[in-house]
Amino acid sequence: MRSAGLDPSVRYTGLITLPVRRPRRSLFLRYFFTLFIAVVVPLILGAVSEAWFGYREQRLHVNELLQAEARSAADRIQTFIDGISDQIGWVVQFPWTEGDDDPHKIDAERLLQQVPAIVSITLVDQTGTERAFVSRLGLNRIGRGANMAEDRAVLGARASKVWYGPVLYRRDSEPYMVIAVAGNRAADGVAIADINLKLIWDVIAAIKIGNTGRAFVSDDSGRLIAHPDISLVLRGGAGSSIFNRLTSTVAAANGSAVVTTGDEGKAVVAASVRAANVGWTVIAQQPVSEAFASIRAGLWRALSLVLVGALFAAALAYWLAHRMSGPIRQLEDGVQRIGAGQFDHRITISSGDELEQLAKRFNEMAEELTASKEKSERISRLKRFLAPQVAELVEQSDERLLEGRRREVVAIFGDLRDFTAFSARAEPDVIMAVLSEYYEAVGAVVSRHEATLTGFGGDGVMVLVNAPVARRNPAARAVRLAIDMQAAVQSLVFGWRAKGHAIGFGVGIAMGPAIVGTVGYEGRIDYTAIGSVVNLASRLCGSAKDGEILIDPAVAEGVKDSIAIESLGVRLIKGYDHPLPIFVVARSDLRQSHSQERKSGRPVDAVADEARASSQPQDSDGVLP
Amino acid sequence: MRRRDFITLALGAVTWPRVACAQQPTKVYRIFWVSSESQPDPFLDGFREGLRERGYAEGKDVVFELYYSAGDPDELRQVISALKRGNIDLAVSSGPATRVLMDVTEVPVLFALSGDPVELGIVKSLGQPGGNFTGTSFLSLELAGKRVELLKDIFPKLRTLAVLSNTDHPGEPSEWQTTQQTTHALGMDPVYVSFFGAREFDKALEAASKVRADAMLVFPDAVTMARRTKLAEFAISGRLPSMFGWSEYCDAGGLMSYGANQRATYVRLATYADRILHGEKPANLPVERPTKFELAVNLRTARALGVEGAISSILFRANKVIE
Repeated sequence: MRSAGLDPSVRYTGLITLPVRRPRRSLFLRYFFTLFIAVVVPLILGAVSEAWFGYREQRLHVNELLQAEARSAADRIQTFIDGISDQIGWVVQFPWTEGDDDPHKIDAERLLQQVPAIVSITLVDQTGTERAFVSRLGLNRIGRGANMAEDRAVLGARASKVWYGPVLYRRDSEPYMVIAVAGNRAADGVAIADINLKLIWDVIAAIKIGNTGRAFVSDDSGRLIAHPDISLVLRGGAGSSIFNRLTSTVAAANGSAVVTTGDEGKAVVAASVRAANVGWTVIAQQPVSEAFASIRAGLWRALSLVLVGALFAAALAYWLAHRMSGPIRQLEDGVQRIGAGQFDHRITISSGDELEQLAKRFNEMAEELTASKEKSERISRLKRFLAPQVAELVEQSDERLLEGRRREVVAIFGDLRDFTAFSARAEPDVIMAVLSEYYEAVGAVVSRHEATLTGFGGDGVMVLVNAPVARRNPAARAVRLAIDMQAAVQSLVFGWRAKGHAIGFGVGIAMGPAIVGTVGYEGRIDYTAIGSVVNLASRLCGSAKDGEILIDPAVAEGVKDSIAIESLGVRLIKGYDHPLPIFVVARSDLRQSHSQERKSGRPVDAVADEARASSQPQDSDGVLP
Repeated sequence: MRRRDFITLALGAVTWPRVACAQQPTKVYRIFWVSSESQPDPFLDGFREGLRERGYAEGKDVVFELYYSAGDPDELRQVISALKRGNIDLAVSSGPATRVLMDVTEVPVLFALSGDPVELGIVKSLGQPGGNFTGTSFLSLELAGKRVELLKDIFPKLRTLAVLSNTDHPGEPSEWQTTQQTTHALGMDPVYVSFFGAREFDKALEAASKVRADAMLVFPDAVTMARRTKLAEFAISGRLPSMFGWSEYCDAGGLMSYGANQRATYVRLATYADRILHGEKPANLPVERPTKFELAVNLRTARALGVEGAISSILFRANKVIE
């Protein structure tokens, strides 16, 4: 018998190397990206919306802040200028009379002492005549001087009490302006003060918006009047175009903050307010970088949050996807191994979820498969010598049936007549074709009759009935089997003869006690019977002529009521001390039982008158002790 | 008097930089201080104070190289070669010493001048100096007249005024001219006691003592500044009411002074030094002018001279009263 192929490693190799096409997109990646995106997209959306609303809020805040700062700066400048005007008002409180120049002059000197911004002051009486001139630098003048009645400052002050002159730049550097103040009465005259506007610097420099924001003042022509960096003011006309542009840009926004390029070339947010009394524009500006620093910080915060979130999401997604796809891979691998026949493969998944359940089911399946495979292997092993039905029966009931025991069996031997001569003549392929036809025919009959085929040996065949499974009326069953077998082979013999092969077939049957059981080693296990009954059957077979079925007295006794037999008298059988009565199955019975074949056109009664003892069973040695 | 008192002080030039290098790698700025004053130098102190206010630590961030020639700017010419050696970040000149540096073009120069820097030709205009020079101009020409006027206000009967002037000073002729005009306008007789440089100073004092003057006017300048105590003592001993340009003279015993606060100006000059050291070009830094002029009165001297009564009439205008 062939090996059942129990060594798994030999069988797997061929299957495992089969290329398994990987799916286009792995579950892992899909899960990974889905989970990742599910976390990161809301994070990004949150960050973006927060940034947007934060920006709008900050924009409003900056707008308000700059407006407030500009207004406050304008207020301070107005206060500064108004303060000077008010102080000048002190020297025009008393009317001019003849010869009272000195008290006026002293008043003017005290004013100079009091207000550092005033460089010089000219006092004009009601007639418009200069009466006193007091200066920090120049020589003082007392007494009637030039007629200034038509002077702009005098006219302006008389018209509106306080008159502000335009800003003038001495030596194109220092900003000065004239403030003229008229007394309540015309007799009080007018005081014309020359103001050094550099002193507003203290006011402007004190204004700080945030850390680097600042305010500056320019006139309508865009020329700087005051700036925290005084040198920009003193620089004169140079660079005034920058401030001109800046002033007009910011002023065009009507007080609300605009983003523009500042005087230092950096982006700034600026708002402007007009100082009404002097007609100057005060601009408060803050670098964009500082004004929106909190936004930027917020953006960075949000960005880092998104990054951290993304990292976390990636880690989580990786973990989850891995948790999902890992067991699936394991299962896939397991299925592949099982498919390749490695039934002892088990999967260990302890995820505590459905996947673990699936793995458990998988392992159960593998166990079932192992059991079922072992069973099918056993059955196929039994089928070597048992008819399929018998094999199933044995498998299902008890394998101990196959264990060695003594029992009543019917042994059937058959072999081909003149096969040796034929095999010596014929080509090997012809011989093999003949043999396979023969085995096929015999095997089919044995299966049909649920007998036990112990083995083929060359042209010989041995069949047992009543072992391992007990049968009712084994003798009759054996004879019927033999009849069918003889008929099947004879139909072949007809064909063979037609081709010129002179081959016949004879059968011998004996019944009696024998020892039955399995013998063999490793995978080569055979079921066989040992005992004189086997020898007897073999001898009878050897004596049978082509087409004959010889039976011993025990069989004859068992079938005489159902099958026609004829006695051949007493014969001496080799190995037996006494001659034995031998019987032969009647030809009529043979013919009768093969009406089926006849109908199908196959000649059954083609038993030639061959020499019946010419051929010996060739392969009964194997079963003989 | 050929005493060459060149005091070359490279303060800490040997020891400090090494320590500074070891402590931190920030640049140590080297400032060249050129003066025709003498030490102790209140202007240098003012400048140092200004730098300290700006966060500079001497020896760590900034190192001074001091070049003094008391009252003789010519001797300073020798420092030019030292300056041109390189590795100087900024030169600061005090008083007439600026003239010496006129040829310097590679190093930024900060000046504090009583004259007009445009007239002197070191800047193109006050607003935009355009070169490597910038600083402060006191523009004291007008003040020269003002000082005479103040004397006249206090002492209406004043007739003869001794005018002490160092002719080796830029702008001195115009200052004298202004003074002359004013005295004439106010009905006074000026007696011009001029001298050329420090060497002739003592001779000038001798000459002044021979003048029967009612008061004395001293032009502010490095030579007289360096000898302000001597001048104050001379005025008191001669019972002369004295008028000076800077309050430092008053501190030393002078009766009165009228002019810009020098020390404050030097403190302010440090702002420009800071900006220049941080890379700004002197060409873009406008020349500044003082906005505050202070009248200082020394009451002790007034008492010594017995003119308290007259002085009290002007006290309301004084910015600084020394008692």
